[in-house]
Amino acid sequence: MLTPAELVWLLAAVAKGDEIAFERLYTATRAKLFGVVLRILRRQDLAEEVIQEAYVKIWNSAGQFNPALASPITWMASIARNRAIDVVRKKSEVSIEEEPTAMEVAADSPDPLARREMTEELKRLLECVGRLEPDRQKLVLLAYYNGWSREQLAAKFETPVNTVKTWLRRSMMDIRECLGL
Amino acid sequence: MMAYSEDHIALAAEYALGTLDADERAQVETMMAVDTEFSAIVRAWEYRLGALNQMVGTIEPRPIVWENIKAAIANSAASQARPSPPVEPVAETAAPPVVAETPPMAVEPSTAPAAGHSADSANVILLAGRVKRWRSIASVATALAAALVGMLAVQVYRPEVLPEALRPKPRIQTVEVRVPAPAPSAQYVALLQGGPGAPAFILTVDAATKNFTVRKVGAEAERGKSFELWLISDRLPQPRSLGVIGGSDFTARPVLAGFDAGTINGATYAVTVEQAGGSPTGQPTSAPVYTGKLIETVPAAR
Repeated sequence: MLTPAELVWLLAAVAKGDEIAFERLYTATRAKLFGVVLRILRRQDLAEEVIQEAYVKIWNSAGQFNPALASPITWMASIARNRAIDVVRKKSEVSIEEEPTAMEVAADSPDPLARREMTEELKRLLECVGRLEPDRQKLVLLAYYNGWSREQLAAKFETPVNTVKTWLRRSMMDIRECLGL
Repeated sequence: MMAYSEDHIALAAEYALGTLDADERAQVETMMAVDTEFSAIVRAWEYRLGALNQMVGTIEPRPIVWENIKAAIANSAASQARPSPPVEPVAETAAPPVVAETPPMAVEPSTAPAAGHSADSANVILLAGRVKRWRSIASVATALAAALVGMLAVQVYRPEVLPEALRPKPRIQTVEVRVPAPAPSAQYVALLQGGPGAPAFILTVDAATKNFTVRKVGAEAERGKSFELWLISDRLPQPRSLGVIGGSDFTARPVLAGFDAGTINGATYAVTVEQAGGSPTGQPTSAPVYTGKLIETVPAAR
């Protein structure tokens, strides 16, 4: 895995249309982005489509990346994850869970990036998530990592959707306050 | 500067979290397009929550994904350069129905997965023969590599799109060889905390392998002391040691393999301060300083 500084440099080159830089950027980041979207979509075909669209968008909008606002990987993962959430929300009538269980073949490898020291941002965020009630912690993490809808969360927590709405909103506002925003 | 109501901010946060429905997402995207300040609020939430992705493991996509990305970019460049209709995507029409969703394109030999070539040669040859018959692409060798990857993966996750004769019997799913196709197995996370506030350790358990990893977040053991992790379950007569943790930032072990899923999921995980190297008695010698229970973050396919 390249350092964030190297990724910033690559993105700047990509913004100028440097295809070699784009390939290096892809190589350095694809497995992370794929891991993020596959968790949400839980279907390889959909995840591949999303990742393709995301990288085309990254290629086209690299010039909009602002290193003062986000790390390169966070910016890129946001693009991919947003697309994945859009797909999963629009597909809600098609049950994604119906896919064959052959998907459960192997475990993913420990992530080289995650092996490093966690960033300060993550520590702060986890501190604030950790201050929520245990059920709310779970709610927020399930929503983020799995891209679950309020309906899915309501089913999981055996609670009316409106309650989930309230919990989500309250949780996000608590996190905001905890982060001092 | 426009003042945003708490409703606006909550909406931005829930957009970033991902819990809005399709209509609400479209509304937010429209608002973002017309209001750069609101857009900045949404992005700030996205980047803030994006730190969570550090916890997500990596999974390699298939090489075909890169080929498709390159093709899409070349196409958009070509259509920008000329006003005439864009070039037909390579092989889209020539591709057999099985791989229609991901048209196989030439792969540089260096990017083709080695595993795809070496493993299970009998199946590879069989499939190669079929694919060859269907396809009329000049660069056979490289395209074949790509198509094979597609075929094998399709066999694993979309058996219904294969022609009848090629459809695997359920057992044959193990033909999957080493195509990088796996979805994550269920993952569980526990935040081990001493009270409300920052977790000291983050425990992640993979349900399939029962491997666990512990990341040290804030805790520092006193000199001459060690942190020891325990599994406490009402199904077990006494706490079980999962070993000394925190010596480095990252501890990975398979010791949970001896426990059943119910025990693992229901247990309390506790960290005690022990003498250097861990408790000599096999039992905790002090009260836990950090505890937590597992939260399912990535369920297995239901």
